[in-house]
Amino acid sequence: MKNVSIKNFLVAMTAAATLGTAGTSYAEDPIRIGGMYILSGSAATYGEFAQRGIDLAVGEINSSGGILGRQVEMIYEDTQGKASVAIQAARKLAYSEGVDALVGLDSSGVAQGLVPTIPALQKPLIITHAATPDVTGNLCNAFTYRISVNVAQNMKAAALVASETDATNWTTIGPDYAFGHQSWEFFGNYLKDIKPDVNLMSETNFPRFGAEDFTPFIDRVMDSDAEGVLISVWGGDLVNFIRQANNRGFFEKDLEVMFTVGAATEVLTALGDEMPEGVHLSTRYWYEAYDNDMNARFVKAYLDAYGNPPSYNAQGAYAAIYAYKQAMEAAGTTDGPAVAKALSGMTMESQNGTVTFRKGDNQAMVSPNWGVSGPMHPEHGIRTLTNLQIFDGEEVARTIEETGCKL
Amino acid sequence: MSGIGAALLNSLDIGLLLFIIAVGLNIIFGVLNIINFAHGALYMLGAYLAFTLINLAGMPFWAALLLAPIGVVILAVIIDRVLLRFIYSRDVADSLLLTFAILLMINESVRMIWGSGIHVVQPPDLLSGSVQLLGSSVATYSLFVIVIGLLLLAGLWYLFNRTRIGRIMRAAALDRDMAEALCINTRLVVTGVFAFGAWLAAVGGVMAAPMRALDPGMGDKIIIESFIVVVIGGLGSFPGALIGALILGLIHGFGGRYLPEVNMLLPFVGMALVLLFKPHGIMGKGANA
Repeated sequence: MKNVSIKNFLVAMTAAATLGTAGTSYAEDPIRIGGMYILSGSAATYGEFAQRGIDLAVGEINSSGGILGRQVEMIYEDTQGKASVAIQAARKLAYSEGVDALVGLDSSGVAQGLVPTIPALQKPLIITHAATPDVTGNLCNAFTYRISVNVAQNMKAAALVASETDATNWTTIGPDYAFGHQSWEFFGNYLKDIKPDVNLMSETNFPRFGAEDFTPFIDRVMDSDAEGVLISVWGGDLVNFIRQANNRGFFEKDLEVMFTVGAATEVLTALGDEMPEGVHLSTRYWYEAYDNDMNARFVKAYLDAYGNPPSYNAQGAYAAIYAYKQAMEAAGTTDGPAVAKALSGMTMESQNGTVTFRKGDNQAMVSPNWGVSGPMHPEHGIRTLTNLQIFDGEEVARTIEETGCKL
Repeated sequence: MSGIGAALLNSLDIGLLLFIIAVGLNIIFGVLNIINFAHGALYMLGAYLAFTLINLAGMPFWAALLLAPIGVVILAVIIDRVLLRFIYSRDVADSLLLTFAILLMINESVRMIWGSGIHVVQPPDLLSGSVQLLGSSVATYSLFVIVIGLLLLAGLWYLFNRTRIGRIMRAAALDRDMAEALCINTRLVVTGVFAFGAWLAAVGGVMAAPMRALDPGMGDKIIIESFIVVVIGGLGSFPGALIGALILGLIHGFGGRYLPEVNMLLPFVGMALVLLFKPHGIMGKGANA
């Protein structure tokens, strides 16, 4: 008797289970997007920002009907900031998880390694942070797009800012890898073009990424003839750099100081009023730079959810999900090659205005923002940006010939 | 030559902070024969606990300097009693694997508890700002780090050479069976030594907090530096930790200032040179050191 009832119970359960699956199979499967970011270690904060931006976008899209009537589901992989890990992650997402599209990448080094492997996966990738010009240059391909500002665009803008100052002798302090060196190279070339009488000093400074103590390099610049210094140190390193520079009296010297990623909100939040006033700060997206509905909604939603103003990395990741929505709806499918094709030349409304993925190199024509650090924001607890300049994304971009991209 | 004075002070402040951390690593290896990969994670935990006590609980820096390391010591005792005690008799490679696992657990816990963001701790008012010394502007807090580093150095020397506890620790390091035969409670010594090493790491973390940005990778950065110190100075050697740390401090302080093109290479060149001529480190005593 007991056995029978258990048997019945099992039958009922199996039936219920089949009913369940039958029920869900009527509704369409969600669209799956794979996110590849740094989610552990020193730079994990960048991956977390991207996730926050994506969470907001996915939440909005899902509550207003999804994409092509289907819900959106994210699957994340940690790149650990390593190209080899990212390549494995992309394969896992494409082959095992069956994602329809990819977003991600926080590091130039990772981007340079991963991008050439993307066409084999036949899935589109939108880069939301990594800034090396190469991936929309000589390494470009038909599946790889970038929605964020690249080093070449930002350094063209930096050179325009620098050319307006009185400084003639320029040097740099930057992390000793692709990003630091490429920033200086592009900046120097553009500045020389705009203002041929500048002197690019041969004494440059490239401390190790994660060096923690930058004092020797700060002293070296202070003792040199430099009148202007381009600083591409970023993240936690930049927080250390600025506090040590304060101790050394670096900002009291008569120097034009330009921080290429200085207006990143995570750095400004950590530093508070330790960030000096009157230095040039740039970011790939400044949350108060754009007066449009999408930006107002995004900034408010971000502040409500996380209590801090959004970082550029959250903005890029948020916009990338909307880019996929528009491209998938235009293509009428989530098929990889079709979506990649729809992205080419696509124009979309984003927080930073109307953005076009340029045909020819797949780089979005987005505006670098430069300003001068001003008084503390009364509510957000960070420095404000004064003399804000929003450069035209297309004007500061390399020509397609210059990029070396052949699509 | 004002630059040299500034570089020297900078080297001392980097070097003595490294000494505080590396000497703990060396004491643990010397007595317990364990290469503690999680040492950097304990340092990080010290810094984050200080951040919690100072920025979130509003305590003064001095209270954090006292309390945060105690918190880490409690965790260290648990780690020792629950995990490490099973591997003391095993090969040193096993300890590397286990402490690496502990490192991963602590790293992830820190990220889950405090988030992945960058945090900053202010130095106490007494030590904020900078002073003119040797012809350049030096952070007052750096001088404080140098003073504390020297005090700890003197205290450790006294502990090992002039006290009964120090002699017991050295006895246990030399021959644990013999020590046991002499009625020394070696289990207590083992736990005590591991906790003491962890205390040193945590003190280093609290000391570092007002001058280094806090992020969940800060422990990984310091452990690599500490291993370089230990290779240069000699594994398990107390004076070795000091010499290694000072050499690495000088390499950073002067290398960045005068040879910036090769600043990344220099620590490893130093390490390679030492390995070539003194394979066990400058103060290493060979295979049994």
